Amino acid sequence: MRFDTLVAIALVFIPFSLTSIGGGAAIVAGIQHETVTVHAWVNSREFLDLFAVSRAAPGPGMMLATVIGWKVAGWLGAFVATLALFVPSSMLCYSVFKLTNHHRDKKWHRAMREGLAPVGIGLIIAGVLSLFRLADGGVTAFVIAGLSGVILYFAPRFPVLGVLALGGLAAMLASTLSTWVSAL
Amino acid sequence: MTSPVPASPLETPRLRSLFLLCFKIGVLSFGGGLSGWLYKEFVLSKRWIDEEDFSSSLAISQMLPGANVVNLVICMGEQLRGPVGALACVLGFLVGPFFAVVGLCQLFDALAGYPLLPVISDGVAFAAMGLLIIMCVHGVRRAMRFPPSIITIAVTAILVGIFRFPLIPVACVIAPISVALAWRRI
Repeated sequence: MRFDTLVAIALVFIPFSLTSIGGGAAIVAGIQHETVTVHAWVNSREFLDLFAVSRAAPGPGMMLATVIGWKVAGWLGAFVATLALFVPSSMLCYSVFKLTNHHRDKKWHRAMREGLAPVGIGLIIAGVLSLFRLADGGVTAFVIAGLSGVILYFAPRFPVLGVLALGGLAAMLASTLSTWVSAL
Repeated sequence: MTSPVPASPLETPRLRSLFLLCFKIGVLSFGGGLSGWLYKEFVLSKRWIDEEDFSSSLAISQMLPGANVVNLVICMGEQLRGPVGALACVLGFLVGPFFAVVGLCQLFDALAGYPLLPVISDGVAFAAMGLLIIMCVHGVRRAMRFPPSIITIAVTAILVGIFRFPLIPVACVIAPISVALAWRRI
């Protein structure tokens, strides 16, 4: 039973490892679909919490897989999910780097670099859309995400942890305010 | 542009130094933007890698699947110490965040009774979405130079984000078409 779960975790994350073009943000939509809808390992609420935790912790955003693995099957689950998500892409990167680094000025190499970039961006946009749908946070979600985007766009050196903390604070204020307003 | 790195022979670091440097960057890496930090350490401070090798490694790391920084430290490790070096870098980089993220998760669960926690967590997630939106804005602006890229972005986003087509088949169909379009243009 437990072993089956570990195998299932590996089978879910290995294909995502090889499609995470542009990094972990590109596969948020896919991971959400597999872990919430298909396997029902976590519910929407938990998925959103885990997303928030993985963004507030150090390391690449792909550590979202680590916390989902941990939630589903403890430390072993976290370990398997991490390996499943990082080993295939790492081996691919290692091989491609070793084999093609000498050809980096060639035309096919440039075509690959420039052709894959927009696919990665499209996937990230899809990830944002599915997170908005999942969060169902209404105006608050749009305002906080928009403000955080504006801050980081115009002040790229602003610490990310600061933006995340402000987001948490803003949501808390908004919720307290709406409680007061409805009590009036 | 002149290179800030002198033409002196580059040093070969020890495996332990590679591991420790990557560990340091890993545990302190909040929210991305780490390529700049790696550049500063590997190229400017330690002078292990030269400018041109760094930028071609960066291009490969960004185009391939996987976390960009993880791919980048793999390329650094391979250039400096071969396969063992790549392994030392990637392990060093990931071991800290692995324990940190699970630790944070446990802390989150320990606070689960606190009624405002889901609200705060939502707020953090919304702010994190802002980070993703920035990546989209920069990406779309880069793609403006070649309009078909905009169509690639839009089709991918609509199929996966709105019609909820499964991500992997969509990426496998669109990626080769997009590379072919880039090939014809260059």
